[in-house]
Amino acid sequence: MFRKFKGLYISFIFVLLLPVILAGCKTDLNKNTESSVKSEGQTPASTEKTLTISWPKDIGPLNPHEYTPNEFFAQGMYYEPLIDYGEGGKLVPRLAESWDISQDGKVYTFHLRKNVKFTDGSDFDANVVQKNFHTILANRNMHSWLGLISQIDKTEVVDAHTFKVTLKNRYYPALQEFAVVRPLRFLGAAGFPADGDTAKGIKKPITTGPWVLSEYKKDKIAVFTRNENYWGTKPKINKLVVKVIPDGEARVLALEKGDIDLIYGEGVISLDSFVNLRDSGKFETSVSNPVASRALIVNTAKGPFADLNVRLALQHAVNKRALVDGVTNGVEKVADTIISSNFPYANVGLKPYDYNVEEAKALLDKAGWTLPAGKTVREKNGKPLEIELVYMGPDQIEKPMAAAIQSDLKQIGVSLKTTGVERELRNKRMESADFDLLFWNTYGAPYDPHSFVSTNYEKGYGIFESQQGLPMKDKLHQQMKDVLLTVDEKERQKLYTSIFTTLHEQAVYLPISYLTNIAVYPKYVKGLKFPAHRDETPFSMLDIQK
Amino acid sequence: MMQMLFYILKRFAIMAPVLLGATFVSFLLLRLTPVDPAKAYLSVSNIIPTEQTINAVRAQLGLDRPFWPQYGHWLWQLCRLDFGTSFFSKLSVSRELVARLPVTATLALLSLAIAIIISIPLGIAAALRKNHLIDHVCRLLAFLGASVPQFWLAYLLIYFLSVKLNWFPLQGADSWLHFVLPSVTLAFALIATYSRLLRTGLLESLDEPFVLYARARGIGTFTVVGRHVLRHAIRPVVTAAGMNLGKLFAGTVIVEQIFSMPGIGVFFLESVYHRDYPVIQSFIFITVVVFVLGNLAADVIQAYLDPRLTQETGKGE
Repeated sequence: MFRKFKGLYISFIFVLLLPVILAGCKTDLNKNTESSVKSEGQTPASTEKTLTISWPKDIGPLNPHEYTPNEFFAQGMYYEPLIDYGEGGKLVPRLAESWDISQDGKVYTFHLRKNVKFTDGSDFDANVVQKNFHTILANRNMHSWLGLISQIDKTEVVDAHTFKVTLKNRYYPALQEFAVVRPLRFLGAAGFPADGDTAKGIKKPITTGPWVLSEYKKDKIAVFTRNENYWGTKPKINKLVVKVIPDGEARVLALEKGDIDLIYGEGVISLDSFVNLRDSGKFETSVSNPVASRALIVNTAKGPFADLNVRLALQHAVNKRALVDGVTNGVEKVADTIISSNFPYANVGLKPYDYNVEEAKALLDKAGWTLPAGKTVREKNGKPLEIELVYMGPDQIEKPMAAAIQSDLKQIGVSLKTTGVERELRNKRMESADFDLLFWNTYGAPYDPHSFVSTNYEKGYGIFESQQGLPMKDKLHQQMKDVLLTVDEKERQKLYTSIFTTLHEQAVYLPISYLTNIAVYPKYVKGLKFPAHRDETPFSMLDIQK
Repeated sequence: MMQMLFYILKRFAIMAPVLLGATFVSFLLLRLTPVDPAKAYLSVSNIIPTEQTINAVRAQLGLDRPFWPQYGHWLWQLCRLDFGTSFFSKLSVSRELVARLPVTATLALLSLAIAIIISIPLGIAAALRKNHLIDHVCRLLAFLGASVPQFWLAYLLIYFLSVKLNWFPLQGADSWLHFVLPSVTLAFALIATYSRLLRTGLLESLDEPFVLYARARGIGTFTVVGRHVLRHAIRPVVTAAGMNLGKLFAGTVIVEQIFSMPGIGVFFLESVYHRDYPVIQSFIFITVVVFVLGNLAADVIQAYLDPRLTQETGKGE
């Protein structure tokens, strides 16, 4: 019988073995591919230190003044600001050596660093700073989300190394906002298009920064080479290769295979994978200090949460420790306050709400929500205590957290409906304050706490609307506006203390955890230190010692 | 021959209203969704939406114009094979598609080819050796093909053949070698379907009187199967393959994502999240074209296998 169909069997086995046969022929091809990447450096391979990382998306066109599809991390590592955001929110010089602020708090004079060159050899001076400000302010509407841009009245070149910015009003976060990644970073004059409007694109990414883009294949790879003429501390590695790997698990496999040397960022791999890599013993892992907060916005404007006692009951009913340990494997940190105390003005000594089921029950009883005999859900005037939590459906953290909160609230007789929607629909529901509880993250460093307060008093974003049930809402929102105009440090701290205390006592947020950046890397990668700035990266500080 | 040509031309004539309908329905449905692409852009860019920024973005994207002028403009561009400009990358959608289409098309066609090349001998062997070892193996393969999730198979292949054995590259689309694992991942489920379809068709045809007559004339099994039976039995596979071409084209996204292949699947997925209308509309249009052409190709092959199908009346209708 076999003889009869011998040809058929042999053909079939050959087809099945074809991939294996092909695999035997591929080794050289792989080598060729790798060497083609390696041959693009500026230094010989023997002395070259190359760090390969992955990113979920393409780096984009590296336009310092624009948004998507420009990736934050790439703009942040490539271009430089006048001022840097350091540890604990301390502002440190970068392209500006120093600065003066006028008595009335409206005029900022920057003394620019001398002998700084762009990668094309041109000088960094006040004229090029002015050119950058011109194009940014020409698109003021697009950048109006940043308070500083809305406040700029005029800019002026005083001399080659002195640049003046005049504001319409006092605006204390101005200095902090000079440190943001976009749009206030500087492109060399030759990189501008003919009409000078970078909103339409740039000619070439010319920077003063530590890296030069030396190779780029859209959606595949970007290679950055060390800028040998960099004015500051040069990176220890010669080359940084960024591979586009959209899938988190594929990124983990790439690290295990040795195709990449570092996984870095926020939410770039699942936290289960992070823990597995950590426990494998093959890699070093690090977790940063808090960079932003994960919280629930509590809608005081309608439903059961209009009552303070119900809001306080929520604070005591949710077991945050179990949430953070169970869902994030302890990678995120338990949050007791909406803004972490390592942020400027946020260390105001607020007393955390403890996890106390009995206290939560007592508060609900006090609010008139009692548990009828034989029922599991509390009622008031015959109406059951039912609330809705809106979360982002595809989010790997919010979904399990929503389920855990549902189970916590069940214990105190609250029926929680969890609704998972995709990001844009969730934004829509937030803007219209169409929720009882909603997952939300703060903007983090360097935007907080000032961006946080402006999102609280600005109409149309959803938070202002969710605070309409507060008896002191007008006073609170006025304080939020005032704090941005203060020039007196003591007065500013006093206002922030009052704002944070009111938000905490009124329980308008349920802080859950503090977001962190993670890093996973082999032992030969040295010198990792997380920047305080949420959108900055540590690549220029890293070394490779194999 | 003339009859076949007339048949193909008639099918092409029917394509035009189908494509026009698809463009209108996709255009209308997108604009009925409750999310404003301008806000989606701001959200992805991590910008707090203010009235000023929303209006600026809406004007930038041309969303401040009424529905009909927007649709007319897009249709006019489409007639010139210009798919417009992406809301997010600010690049020409046509250019983006031209850069990505080869990856997805190669992946889809290669998967289909692998599936057909493997499932034909597999189906024949399973039919000829009914209830023997090879048939049981095929059944097991079919069961696995139908039940193993695509993403899981992809991770398994990567883990064993790329990470552990280092036989294949893990990500990218730079050489033919990069296509082996993703194509096998996509082909696996198709092999299961096609081999079972072929087996069933063959078993039915092998019971036909003409097979008995051919065998009685002393013609060998291979000749009978190859020359007579396969022609009938393969028709369901041809239909399925025609349908699958469009499906594969639209369904490579998971595999492209896992293997980091810059095809149109990942591009489309991102555009859906971003509400990038021009990209979504273009993708739908191209997918409809592929579906229609895939079905047409299947029908033409069917007509070649059974010319009665092109006749206006008669048994084939």
